[in-house]
Amino acid sequence: MKPEDLLQPLPIRAPKCSIGCPVLDRFLAGGIPCNSITEIVAESGCGKTQISLQLLLSAQYPTSAGGLSASSLYLHSEFPFPFRRLHQLSLAHSVLENPLDNIFVCPLKDADDLLDLLPRIDSLLAKPPRALFPIKLIVIDSIAALFRSEFDNNPSDLKRRSSLFFKISSKLKAQAMQFGVAVVVTNQVVDSMDSSEGLRIGNMRWLYSSGRKVCAALGLSWANCVNTRLFLSRTEEKVGDEDGGFPLTRTRRFISVVFSPHLPNSFCEYVVAREGVFGVDRSQGFCQTENDEPEFQRSFIVFGMKLRQVYTFIQQDLHNLCQSIVGDLINYSKNSL
Amino acid sequence: MVHYVFLLGAQSAWDMLHEEKSCKSITTSCSDLDEILGGGINCKEVTEIGGVPGIGKTQMGIQLAINVQIPAQYGGLGGKAVYIDTEGSFMVERALQIAEACIEDLREYDSFLRKDGKPCQINKQPNDFLANIFYFRVCSYTEQIAVVNYLEKFISEHEDVKVVIIDSITFHFRQDFDNMALRTRLLGGMALKLMKLANKFSLAVVLLNQVTTKYSEGSFQLTLALGDSWSHACTNRIILYWNGNERYAYIDKSPSLQSASSPYSVTAKGIRNSVSNCKRVKMM
Repeated sequence: MKPEDLLQPLPIRAPKCSIGCPVLDRFLAGGIPCNSITEIVAESGCGKTQISLQLLLSAQYPTSAGGLSASSLYLHSEFPFPFRRLHQLSLAHSVLENPLDNIFVCPLKDADDLLDLLPRIDSLLAKPPRALFPIKLIVIDSIAALFRSEFDNNPSDLKRRSSLFFKISSKLKAQAMQFGVAVVVTNQVVDSMDSSEGLRIGNMRWLYSSGRKVCAALGLSWANCVNTRLFLSRTEEKVGDEDGGFPLTRTRRFISVVFSPHLPNSFCEYVVAREGVFGVDRSQGFCQTENDEPEFQRSFIVFGMKLRQVYTFIQQDLHNLCQSIVGDLINYSKNSL
Repeated sequence: MVHYVFLLGAQSAWDMLHEEKSCKSITTSCSDLDEILGGGINCKEVTEIGGVPGIGKTQMGIQLAINVQIPAQYGGLGGKAVYIDTEGSFMVERALQIAEACIEDLREYDSFLRKDGKPCQINKQPNDFLANIFYFRVCSYTEQIAVVNYLEKFISEHEDVKVVIIDSITFHFRQDFDNMALRTRLLGGMALKLMKLANKFSLAVVLLNQVTTKYSEGSFQLTLALGDSWSHACTNRIILYWNGNERYAYIDKSPSLQSASSPYSVTAKGIRNSVSNCKRVKMM
């Protein structure tokens, strides 16, 4: 390869992968961009995995519908793999033909595991097996879990860790560029302990979630390794008193841009429903989900509800669970025949 | 004036002063920042710009790649740009946005200049701006060194290149280097080549750098990456930082400018003067 080969004509616009909701797509100026790394930072229970799973499905849509007509690779370090939820989500995408066939899943133990794996998927990215779509989406859920243990808080370990960050990121970016892949990594948060002036990264002075001051895990050097960082947060909002005296609350969730080369400093509310994650367009006064604000029904704290309501909820969930298990069994028996 | 040349290539300081005055600079589109920089990013110099993620380094890089193309009659250089992207952060849609805003500003300036009702002279399209950015995407440090070595040949074929931007110089040098002496040598060699390039073709070289924490005297301190020896490599060093809710640029090192800082902001149009009201927009 000669250096002059690295001179590239500027593409018209990087292709983007729809996130599966028009409001959120508008917020992200079209979706998750290919050829770069997008990081989703959030505490648990905000919907990181939900969004990643939804991406796996929406990537399969044709480009005319905002997708990438591509299959995807899901590397998970959080166990177990949320198969049931993925299946439930896939039901909402009935237009897709066998959507689960176009998703490759691979578990990861630690960072070295990932570093081993990445060079090996080159051939998979270059040539997809059988008659499948090419892989255009890699999701790593989550990157923080790979570095959970085995690194101490001393200078030599920190140095080794940050060198690993740059190795991983550089390999991912090279693959993203070479194969036109969109890379999404999720990251956890850590509580920000110091009351003093901490290091400010990105648009917001502090990140707040569930009323706590948090910051993204893995620190400054990892922040240098991603192109775009999005932050998901949740707040509990009191909406009234139930007769038992328990406060009724609901969860409001927001997605905001921490930093990005192409997105302005902005935020958007979203809800997590059974059919997936949807942005809320308050300016137009409607919710993008089919049912009317399902989040409203679901996020009431169980204590605040009457027993009968709890019962119907449990019943409903049991019903869903049974359905999905039956679905799994049918699929399983189909495959084994 | 008669020149007595005793040494090949030698110049008197008087000549150099004269030359420096004729040398133009690239505006940053933020007049406060231009002011402390003495007009903008100077040609014939290597300028390093560093800051935390999200402070606007890439935005600055894209802005300069567009601004170098402002035609000479509007006080620009009318040149072209080489953009070496090591991080994959160059977004074409953002460059288009900034180019559109630049054209808009030129039109406004133009109508201000001529009140005689002549039609506007600006017939540039945002895509013309993009066509004048030579974009190299490098994926390893060997590629980065190869491109820097190749630049001399490339620019001698494209003499109207007036700015070389590397976004960022650091990324590939922060992995895999057990041999720090080798890293220092490689970086030093690269800096030397870039310096030579800046002088030979009188162009501006802009290197974007990341920040890292440095462990010294028992505590962690923020500093630009690549170590102490690298800090000598560039002519100017500008540090971008947050001050409350405002972005600031600070001249950390320069042989000709006094150290000063100025606020700036990153807007939909690109880098602009800071406006103190909060810019956070609610999209939906």
